[in-house]
Amino acid sequence: MRQGRLIATGAMLAFCLFALWQSLLLSLTDRLGPGPGFFPFWLALIGAALAVALLIVTLREPRNPETDATPVLPRGPGAARWFAIIGSLAAVTVAMEFIGFRLAMLVFNAGLVIALGERRWWLIALFAVLGSFGVHYVFTTWLDVLLPDGRLWT
Amino acid sequence: MEALLGGFATTLTPENLFFCFVGVLLGTVVGILPGLGPLTTIAILLPITFKMEVTSAIIMLSGIYYGVAYGGTVTSVLMRIPGEASSVVTCLDGYEMARKGRAGAALGIAGIGSFVAGTVGVIGISFLSPPLAELVIKFGPAEYAMLMLAGLAMVTYMSSGSLPRALLMAAFGLLLGTIGSDPLNMTPRLTFGILALGDGVNLVPLAIGLFGLSEVLFMARQKPDDMKVLPPPSRLLGFMPSREEARRSVGPVARGTVMGFLVGLLPGGGAVLASFLSYGMERKLSKNPEEFGKGAVEGLAGPESANNAGTAGAFVPLLCMGIPANAVTALLLGAFIIHGVTPGPTILERQPQVFWGVVASMYIGNVMLLILNLPLIGLFVRILDIPRAYLTPMILAVCLIGVYSSSGNPADVVIAVIFGFVGYGLRRHGFDLGIVILAYVLGPIFERSVRQALAISDGDPTIFLHSTISTGFAIVAALLLIAGLWPRRLGRPTS
Repeated sequence: MRQGRLIATGAMLAFCLFALWQSLLLSLTDRLGPGPGFFPFWLALIGAALAVALLIVTLREPRNPETDATPVLPRGPGAARWFAIIGSLAAVTVAMEFIGFRLAMLVFNAGLVIALGERRWWLIALFAVLGSFGVHYVFTTWLDVLLPDGRLWT
Repeated sequence: MEALLGGFATTLTPENLFFCFVGVLLGTVVGILPGLGPLTTIAILLPITFKMEVTSAIIMLSGIYYGVAYGGTVTSVLMRIPGEASSVVTCLDGYEMARKGRAGAALGIAGIGSFVAGTVGVIGISFLSPPLAELVIKFGPAEYAMLMLAGLAMVTYMSSGSLPRALLMAAFGLLLGTIGSDPLNMTPRLTFGILALGDGVNLVPLAIGLFGLSEVLFMARQKPDDMKVLPPPSRLLGFMPSREEARRSVGPVARGTVMGFLVGLLPGGGAVLASFLSYGMERKLSKNPEEFGKGAVEGLAGPESANNAGTAGAFVPLLCMGIPANAVTALLLGAFIIHGVTPGPTILERQPQVFWGVVASMYIGNVMLLILNLPLIGLFVRILDIPRAYLTPMILAVCLIGVYSSSGNPADVVIAVIFGFVGYGLRRHGFDLGIVILAYVLGPIFERSVRQALAISDGDPTIFLHSTISTGFAIVAALLLIAGLWPRRLGRPTS
């Protein structure tokens, strides 16, 4: 937990420092008063100071073996589910643009349902088809929502 | 009164009644599902409303917001699992009542109390909003800037974690709001050389990532719960409380309604805080405080009324001042802006049909919720039978569709996934993500007000202390920050 908090706060510090550097490339004042860099500069500075303060507080906290042992990334039975979701999300994000919503979601739904423990093939197939072609039909035809058709086919 | 009747005329069209029904139904269903709160649902469904007429869209989104407050009660009473945060207190006595065979009475008291509180809350909105809007219309940029500052200070003070963490999240949200074009002279800034960030980080991928996707990642880590659902009554009469239970509910419902509405008006207030305060108050006032936690009617009736009144109260600062009281209303503010409606004091003059249409829909929505909730509870509870293997891909698919359809830009899907991961990491380590959304939405308005005020004063910062109102807000903000930075709060872990 402590390690995770340090990583999360460190990431915030890195973001604030990067924003601070970027804001210094803009003018802090203009003829009307504060310029485009004024707000980002002060916010990034305050954010960085708070992140440093939190890092110090976390480092000075007395160690607690029970909570400190909690791993940053999941382990045990939940880990497979967690990584399956992360992996399938990343894959579908990339694939959707190329092969389109229907095909990407067909594979996504089937793969994720299997990864989450379902083994009845007819239920998997039904869910995958309804969750891809069915959902595409409902959203594009009834709700007038545009969904990607895939660069490969257009 | 005439304007309110006009609002009813707007709402009572078949189309708007349908969307009001859809909103409260979805809200109730989502409130029942553990994990998915109003924020996630509104974020996911927001893009679907883009093609809708503005009043219908806002009516539906508002219906989701107050529908969730009702739905969360069901799982709290029957399973001791709060569907959303404002129902946590309901678990304490509602579940105990259900265990004693009074599940129907507990749901009946909660439903009727919520209906009374919701309706009184909407009456409060109707009568309080016009005079408040008249007062706020006199505000200049300096008053607005200090009001926003006080609001942000209040929200960070009330957050669940330590104040430095809450302030860091506020700075993060405000920084995210500065990405894109400068609001005054359109200079591109903080795009980090990424073309997709030229228009800034959009609200929909940010909200869906931080709340929808991160919630799914959270659910994935948890063991599928061994959920035991206590049976609800099969007949409508089974929901009626006994005469003694009804007598004991009257006072708590009245007190919860008034207090909940007043708490809802405050930035950082809303349903969650209202329900906790009401529970504390009822326990203090009770002649038998030892009954609390063991099925006390007062411990159920008060908080349930307070959370619904708080939900209604939060609409007042949103509609009249354009200031969200909490993360959900911040998202609703974003929805208003996307639909071309600018909430604030001028909404009553410029778009009265939207304002009064939403208010009237809340009266009707409360009646719909009462009709929906009691007879259909048995049916709603069956939603919990959906295996997680199917629920997870369903939620993810709706999230992805929501993000893609909001802009048609594949880069937004990538942004949402990144924020899903960031949101998961931050939430897991005690950072309050609600503040991020609130600060992100308020940021551009705050920046514009500050810069306009400084431009008027030729760069003199004392302009923020020239009027009594802005000085008052500045003092409130300073006091909240000082109180929050009191040493014992520093580094306090998230509760």
